[in-house]
Amino acid sequence: MGVMGAEAVEPKHRESSVSAKTEPVIVAKGLTVGYKLHRERKLLTALKDITLTVNKGEFVCLLGPSGCGKTTFINAISGLVPAWEGSIHVDGQPVTGPGPDRAMVFQDYALMPWRTVESNIRMPFELQNLGLSKAQIDERVARYLDLVELTGFEKSFPYELSGGMKQRVGIARALATEPKILLADEPFAAIDAMTREAMQSELERFVTKTKQTVVFITHSIDEAITLGDRIVVISRRPGRIKEVLDVNLPRPRFDHELKSLPEYSELREHIWRLVKDEALSGAHGEE
Amino acid sequence: MTKTNTNASQGHSAFEDADRLQSMKFSFSELWNRHGSWVVTVINLSCFFLLWELFARSGIVNQIFVPTASGMLSTLWEGLTNSAPPNAAFSGQISDHLLFTLTNLSIGLVIAIIIGVPAGLLMGGNKYVETVLSPYVWALASLPRIALVPLFILFMGFTVKMQITIIVLSAVFPIIINAWAGVKTTEKSLISAAKVFGAKKYSIYLYVILPYTLPFIIAGIQQGIGRGLVGVVIAEIFGGSNGLGFLINRAADTFNSELMYAVLLLLVIVSLSLIKLTTMLEKYVAPWRQQVKM
Repeated sequence: MGVMGAEAVEPKHRESSVSAKTEPVIVAKGLTVGYKLHRERKLLTALKDITLTVNKGEFVCLLGPSGCGKTTFINAISGLVPAWEGSIHVDGQPVTGPGPDRAMVFQDYALMPWRTVESNIRMPFELQNLGLSKAQIDERVARYLDLVELTGFEKSFPYELSGGMKQRVGIARALATEPKILLADEPFAAIDAMTREAMQSELERFVTKTKQTVVFITHSIDEAITLGDRIVVISRRPGRIKEVLDVNLPRPRFDHELKSLPEYSELREHIWRLVKDEALSGAHGEE
Repeated sequence: MTKTNTNASQGHSAFEDADRLQSMKFSFSELWNRHGSWVVTVINLSCFFLLWELFARSGIVNQIFVPTASGMLSTLWEGLTNSAPPNAAFSGQISDHLLFTLTNLSIGLVIAIIIGVPAGLLMGGNKYVETVLSPYVWALASLPRIALVPLFILFMGFTVKMQITIIVLSAVFPIIINAWAGVKTTEKSLISAAKVFGAKKYSIYLYVILPYTLPFIIAGIQQGIGRGLVGVVIAEIFGGSNGLGFLINRAADTFNSELMYAVLLLLVIVSLSLIKLTTMLEKYVAPWRQQVKM
């Protein structure tokens, strides 16, 4: 068990990558996570025997069909769900619960509807003591509001914003605490296609500039290729790692004619072949 | 050249649009959109009272059963301003009785809120409390409260205490059930978000569940007001020598239909004002809830 996964984390995959120095931030070993289904009185394994290392400054995309346990994996990293078997370490420390070193962006934004944009971004600072003075917090909130181009909307409530703007608030809230790891659970899935591309490019620019470590869930192959340094393809439930692929395309990718590159279509074709059967059986509703 | 032309014409049309916006503010349709519903309501009610007046005066039905609208309104006015309504077989102004009823209703509602909100929150937050309390809550909530009135009269006699007990029992269950439902339906992703950003058990309540539940609680109070008003009037009709329910009863006993209708109208006004008050309260404490205009 775990041999295939262990192979996937061998440094050889990173050799060709841009950053030469590899410093593991997230280390999962034989991680198995599941849920209790109270109504049916049974345990559901969502994720089986995941062994994966995410290095500092790396953008890792988790790709797989719906319900394959991608979300469970980042919930395990964030500490929202405990590991059943195996272990997960962040910065050498076993994950026992959420911490300020990890922040998350949610698919449905998860903004507090009774809080204004500014107040939503401020909330993590109210909930945890990061050792910042009031002035420093004010400066952070203003800076990240500006980063996501929402200056002027401080006093707006989430219901007054479009989906794209809501997710900008979600991203600002996650980044404002300046976490070591940014976890993103299909953040652009509910956003219209044009806004999505714009936001992908902004995220890429930000991440390239700041060397932010990101674990990013998506079910879009194109999104995974345009954003990820590495793509982890996960099988259907119980989710296992099918393959880990390096993406050695030039950055910033939005400035290139990415989709016309032969590597791009090669990679896309390869991933599609990996996920096709799963996606098709999912489409036919087979278990 | 062509490009500049298009630009110029675009700029021009933008100005025109701005002008149009400006002029629309004072147009008839805009006024109608803003105040039309009020105009309709006023005309509607005027027609209603006018038809009522004509119907009562036509003599089809004895005025003991249906008094004239004007008679009812003047009785109401005099009862609220003078010492006692004309032909009244009781002491005190209508306003005294109104005050009596409202005081009891307020005391009862405050007690119902003090009991109901924590009970509902506890039931939503704790599985064991929920399991233990829910059969009683559902049983008492589904029992018609009127059926309990004779029992409480037996216990406490025709006292204010009995009336307030009935108000509390009428109002507390919608408040409990709404607060309970609010906690139970709190969006899971909001709780996850709060946890990810460092919320511990109690801060989850403070930062997510309570604000999420607040509009539910207010909706519960709104229902509680309606139920409480039913409770107080029934308690007063059953017994007592004060309050609007007593007035209705006494007016019926003395064939004073103008007074009876006046009190009924007053009850409608009181009930609507209280509901309006809670709606405004909801707007104030939960501006993020998109309001449905009703």
